[in-house]
Amino acid sequence: MSEVNLGDAPFTMTIDGKRVEARPGEMVLAAAKRAGIAIPTLCEHKAVESFGSCRLCMVEVTKAAWKGWKGLMTACLYPAAPDLIIETQSERVLHVRRNVLDLLLARCPDSTLIQRLAAEHGVQQTSFSVREQPDLCILCGLCVRICESAATSAISTVKRGHHREIGTPWGGPPPACIGCLACAHVCPTGHITFEEHGATRAIWGRSFELQRCAECGAPLPITVEQASFLVERQALDASYFSRCESCQRRATAQTFGRLARWQKLGLTQEPDARQEGGKR
Amino acid sequence: MSAQSQPQFPPVDLAATEAILARYAAEPKHLISVLQDLQLHYRYLPREALERVGAALGVPLAKVYGVATFYKAFSLTPRGEKILRVCTGTACHIRGAPLILSELQSRLKIAAGETTPDLRFSLEAVNCVGACALAPVVMENDTAHGNLSVTKVRRLVRSGAAGSRGRGSAELPRPDDSPAKKAEESEES
Repeated sequence: MSEVNLGDAPFTMTIDGKRVEARPGEMVLAAAKRAGIAIPTLCEHKAVESFGSCRLCMVEVTKAAWKGWKGLMTACLYPAAPDLIIETQSERVLHVRRNVLDLLLARCPDSTLIQRLAAEHGVQQTSFSVREQPDLCILCGLCVRICESAATSAISTVKRGHHREIGTPWGGPPPACIGCLACAHVCPTGHITFEEHGATRAIWGRSFELQRCAECGAPLPITVEQASFLVERQALDASYFSRCESCQRRATAQTFGRLARWQKLGLTQEPDARQEGGKR
Repeated sequence: MSAQSQPQFPPVDLAATEAILARYAAEPKHLISVLQDLQLHYRYLPREALERVGAALGVPLAKVYGVATFYKAFSLTPRGEKILRVCTGTACHIRGAPLILSELQSRLKIAAGETTPDLRFSLEAVNCVGACALAPVVMENDTAHGNLSVTKVRRLVRSGAAGSRGRGSAELPRPDDSPAKKAEESEES
């Protein structure tokens, strides 16, 4: 590597013949996305680090100095570098992409997302034998990664090889789950499902009570467990999730109203707050 | 799940788990070592022990479970005192491994991959154990029994059933001087 990285200085590289600006430390996929060049991907999410499990973002990578050698790399894991020449639509790339989609279609024939992506690449039906009792899970692991980074690592990939699946400890309701739905939200194929009725939410075989507004009793869109998890993790005030949005808004408006009245009286502080020792 | 279909889960003495945990620093990187020691002691990984290990090493239970289900060396269901691994590799297959396996299955009344309810035997069909000259081979824990016939296999089951009676410890018997073991050693040299 003869290039000298000048700290945070952006540099340029070539994607599909276009000069594209990239920053040190970012991956080819991110630079391409910013330049408006679409590379299909299923397992990538801005909230978690790239993982490279869906293999859909494969691109051809080369440099002028590589004497014609081109490598197939996952764009989400290949660091951008000066003078890289990337091809996202070459025959080789499209061939690999079709193969990946062919395999995904054999795994998840009922996924409308996979069906659409495959059809877009000219794969109408899989050339492999379809899995028995297929579900919608492509095993990208995005749910596991988001649960680890944003929540409590309540789920994981279990077993191995073709028995591998996303699961909970001993297949039962996961004790660490806080019902935040992050896993269901990021799942690209909608494999992870949940139900919500009134103030109850059910996911992974567990049932959660939703946090209720301390004033009007309306359910908030987070569970009790999630509220206490967030309060602790973000070091929030314990009452942070105690009001629903409209009650919070009313409370704020009332505070402003009071402030306006004190100002008319020439006060700079709330009278009783001053007695407590000048809180705000 | 398969865990529920197993007939017996003996009561778990967690003192052993604590003793094993005491051997290692309380860091996530020691997870697999701890699991190996647990597997050796209990002959499977009891849920109670794994919950304790996760809490002690600071590894989420889901991850502990993920690791425990990933490696074939770990079992989440109690294994028998004697694990019979029937080699079904090419050489053994040709020399009658299917007969040996079906004899063991009907004798022990379990399928390959299962454990007898009295926890004396686990039966496994494995790929090549690397002793093709002894085909057909059955590994009894760490001991290889070669040149087997259906009659010899019956004897193996009977001696195993007799030998384990009244033995309460989790220690694996290792008859190092058995003829089969010697034959295996000379094979390797």
